Amino acid sequence: MITLTHFLVVSACIFCIGLYAVLAKRNTIMILVGIELMINAAILNFVAFGKYDKLNYAGQVFALFAIVLAAAAVAVGLAIILNVYRSFKTINPKNIHELKD
Amino acid sequence: MNVSIPNILDQIIASVPLFKPELALIIGFIVCIFTALFLEKRWRNSTFIGCIVTLGFSLYYLIGQLSTTATGFSGMWLVDTWSTYARLVVLCSTVIIAIFLQQQHSKNNGDVYSILIAATLGMHVLSSTSHWLMAFIGIEMVSIASYILVGYFSQNKTQSEAAMKYVLFGSVCAAVMLYGLSLVYGLTGNLDFQSAEHLQGLMDAPEAIITLALLFVFAGIGFKLSFVPFHVWSPDVYQGAPTAITAFLSTIPKIGAIILFARLYQSWSSTAFYFSELSTWFITIVAIVTMLVGNLAALRQQDVKRMMAYSSIGHTGLLLMAVFAYQDLNSYLLFYIVAYVLMNLATFIFIDQIEQQTGSTSLLSYTGLGKKMPILFTAFTLVAISLIGIPPTVGFVAKLMVFTSTFSVFQSSGDTGALLLLIIGALTSAISLFFYFKIPLYAFLRNSDQPVILKKQFGVLLVIAYILTVLVILFGIFPNWVMQVLA
Repeated sequence: MITLTHFLVVSACIFCIGLYAVLAKRNTIMILVGIELMINAAILNFVAFGKYDKLNYAGQVFALFAIVLAAAAVAVGLAIILNVYRSFKTINPKNIHELKD
Repeated sequence: MNVSIPNILDQIIASVPLFKPELALIIGFIVCIFTALFLEKRWRNSTFIGCIVTLGFSLYYLIGQLSTTATGFSGMWLVDTWSTYARLVVLCSTVIIAIFLQQQHSKNNGDVYSILIAATLGMHVLSSTSHWLMAFIGIEMVSIASYILVGYFSQNKTQSEAAMKYVLFGSVCAAVMLYGLSLVYGLTGNLDFQSAEHLQGLMDAPEAIITLALLFVFAGIGFKLSFVPFHVWSPDVYQGAPTAITAFLSTIPKIGAIILFARLYQSWSSTAFYFSELSTWFITIVAIVTMLVGNLAALRQQDVKRMMAYSSIGHTGLLLMAVFAYQDLNSYLLFYIVAYVLMNLATFIFIDQIEQQTGSTSLLSYTGLGKKMPILFTAFTLVAISLIGIPPTVGFVAKLMVFTSTFSVFQSSGDTGALLLLIIGALTSAISLFFYFKIPLYAFLRNSDQPVILKKQFGVLLVIAYILTVLVILFGIFPNWVMQVLA
């Protein structure tokens, strides 16, 4: 029997993996992948909780909107990273530091 | 609850009149995409005209809503004084930003206007909802539009780097906020943060999970408001982006986010349970730290745009203080927003005009310019005085109102947090004197040995900036003009 707890544990794990990728990876595309994992963990949560919200289906609707918005944000992010690669010839955030105090 | 389809349809159709300003923006957004594609080559500025007409229509419908208080779309859309005046300020400043863009980036600017309209639409959504789904959509709309705006004109390294930092930091904050929202949804089963069910769910939840969920949600709002510790992106992005875009970033996105935060704080802080205490402590600590970090870091900046970034972080701290103090009276918070927008727009237009002449935004390049551009620098100094909060300017009145109401909160409740807020607020206002006065110091009191050749310039932008400066003084002497409208 798969209960709500299983979903929550899995989504917490995915969120932590995504957070680790964001903090530790030295490649901007991998950071975007990490962000995507974090968003998907939240979407899993929404759908799992939505099972108990029989009347409004707010969880499912939120999940749909979140998927669309995440796709839009990633499209913009990739375009900007392409632009960064053109001017810096690298996408390692460590090496991109023209602006600082 | 009645869930038959004809009933729902009736409800939606009845709510459409409340949505007219936004419908105008949606239609204008689509029209601007097509004019940028097909007409821009034949008639230059056709997209700009389309954008201004759209904003005009939206303004017209919005003025029709001035005295309405209603909810629509089954409680997802709120129209009240907060939302109407916030949207009014957003639309007026968007018009100025559109003119700014048209004057400074006249080539290849077709799509910028449609993105600007999309960002405005996101702001409208943020400032007139209490539903988490709408709030998240609003935050993402504004964020995605701002990422594109920052990267749109990127020609050199700094501009693309600014766009990249913005997009990465923004996406992480949005993802964290979404996870927090999913936890809040799981705890309450309701996404409207003003509803009784939502508050009841928060009261029953265990403390550890609620701390995590609330802090995650605040992370997303904190990114849009750029309060500490989610402020690290703003100096880099403000410095790297083109000045017209910086003027946009420093004013418009903050209006919607602060209205959302004020609504949230108002409904969450009113109970005696753990989550109310947590939000009150959070806002107090964050406001104090934000004012300190913003104003202290601004002291050692040599680039004007970077300095203004830290200054706007400091002003965010004061806005949070206004949210903390004015839970019932909303006109004071709106007054601070109006003052903040006036001052920041004028400042960035001045910075841009000087950048056009000298090609630099460094403070050192202002040396001796005061004698060559006397009117501009006099107006600039007046706006700087207003940013510090010295009479007789609008900044003084706005700060005074925030301080007096925080003091009355302290008197009525004896809350140490309110006292600390007052002390730190007064202290940081004094600190801010030192970095804002660097501008007239360099411009008027230091002489440069390098001759600067000035181009003759008298554009629309400068006229707008002077009008804004006059308004800064006028609203400072007669604050009643604004207060009567807002009350």
